Amino acid sequence: MTVRIDPASVEDRLRDIQSITDAAMSRLDDRDFLAELLERVKDILQADTAAVLLLDARSGQLIATAAAGLEEEVIQGVRIPVGRGFAGRIAAEQKPVILDHVDHTTVLNPILWVKGIRSMIGVPLLAAGRTVGVLHVGSLTPREFTSDDAELLQLAADRAAVAVQSMISHADRVAVSALQRSLVPSALPSIPGAELAARYIPGSGVVGGDWYDVFTLPSGELCFVMGDVAGSGLPAAVIMGRMRSALRAYALETRDPAEVLGKLDRKMQHFEPDAIATVLYAVADPTLDQVHISLAGHFPPVVARPGQPAELADVAPGLMIGVAPGARRAVTTLNVAPGTLLCFFTDGLIERPGEIVDEGLARLCHAVAPAPPETACATVMGALLGREAARDDIALLMLRRQPAGDDDA
Amino acid sequence: MPDVRYPVVVAGGVPVVAAPQEIDITNAAGLREVLLDLIPGHAAVVIDMTQTQFCDTAGLHVLVMAHKRALAQGCQVRLAMPGGPVLRILAITGIDRVIPRFTSLEDAMAAPAAPGARRPPTG
Repeated sequence: MTVRIDPASVEDRLRDIQSITDAAMSRLDDRDFLAELLERVKDILQADTAAVLLLDARSGQLIATAAAGLEEEVIQGVRIPVGRGFAGRIAAEQKPVILDHVDHTTVLNPILWVKGIRSMIGVPLLAAGRTVGVLHVGSLTPREFTSDDAELLQLAADRAAVAVQSMISHADRVAVSALQRSLVPSALPSIPGAELAARYIPGSGVVGGDWYDVFTLPSGELCFVMGDVAGSGLPAAVIMGRMRSALRAYALETRDPAEVLGKLDRKMQHFEPDAIATVLYAVADPTLDQVHISLAGHFPPVVARPGQPAELADVAPGLMIGVAPGARRAVTTLNVAPGTLLCFFTDGLIERPGEIVDEGLARLCHAVAPAPPETACATVMGALLGREAARDDIALLMLRRQPAGDDDA
Repeated sequence: MPDVRYPVVVAGGVPVVAAPQEIDITNAAGLREVLLDLIPGHAAVVIDMTQTQFCDTAGLHVLVMAHKRALAQGCQVRLAMPGGPVLRILAITGIDRVIPRFTSLEDAMAAPAAPGARRPPTG
């Protein structure tokens, strides 16, 4: 069988492809890019409507995000479950679908048939083999869309998928940094006799879920939290925000740090069953004589007492948050003499691939001294990071009980 | 996605997944997929961590998720790990007291099925 090639059609096709891969379009921002792409697709296919629906992975629904000639879809917030209706089928099967009649039996969204669309063609938006959305066009007059149309539309969809990925990751990055700014205390509390300093460095790769918190209770106790949520990006940051608020709420209810972690664990296992996190929670007496610490899978603090080498505090380990229900955690009380410094940290500070964790802990203990906390933080960051950007998030928090004789300082 | 870095060997009805030397955010998702595929239909799945020298929170997350999923489906996740740096992390996080750990691969494979586990497929 010979294939007859129509030169005019080939030329048209090339021009059409040129139109949707035009370099000028790359200079548009992502949202304008989608709008322009839909206009061009509509023109090239001589269709009347074009729309992009994006997958919301949490709900498993496609959400109308951009449209040309079908703006009401976006305005009314149309949502289509994956696997159902026209767009839902494209998303589930990951291949083009052509409809030669449009009614309630073939299409879920009434806007399409009410508008009088007679024929439709749609293709999936794919990124790394996963469906991220659907692009479809419609015609108000009956017509037969061809496999050539599907091919061209898929080319446009591939470009749209790239723009969509970049739109989402940009939005996520903005949201994560806004969240992090709101979650890290803007100023440390000012408590007589307590000197505090902290550092927070987001990782060089994807941002993770480390946080720290310092607050006082109405009783005058001073509380410290270090946490590390497994995962990265916006989902981890959102969970970290929820854990921070929940822990603060439980801290007001009960003085026992192990009980606070137990309540937090129960709350997380019920509402965020897929999340796990390490948390340290410590409550210092108003006099600062003693600090009561409970651990949920987190490293204990490093303690530096004047005239002695710093060491990892001997604190009873406790199960990580989110692993198993009903775990009991212990409380360890440390005596804090004047001049003693406590250094709380997350694993990003000490963990290096290809090295056992004890080496990192030893390096940290070596670097920690009972100096004024700002100085001690700077020394530790210099010794453990130097000029090497951290892969993981790092949170570091230091408390020093004012040395005797510094009272008037 | 089957991955050459996580070879699965089935011996005596027990699948064994060889974990990589370092489990971190760059490969945790792949390991998770392999494990979640194996859990339905097996009474036990062994994660061979005898070669694993590093496991960050992303790696711990995979172990815990696999363990929880297995519990819910009548399967048991077992770790084969003689000792070493990762065991230290499992002790700090308390996970060593939750997920059954064996000091050798042979012991992990030979252990009796957990009470309530599904029967291993016969034949």
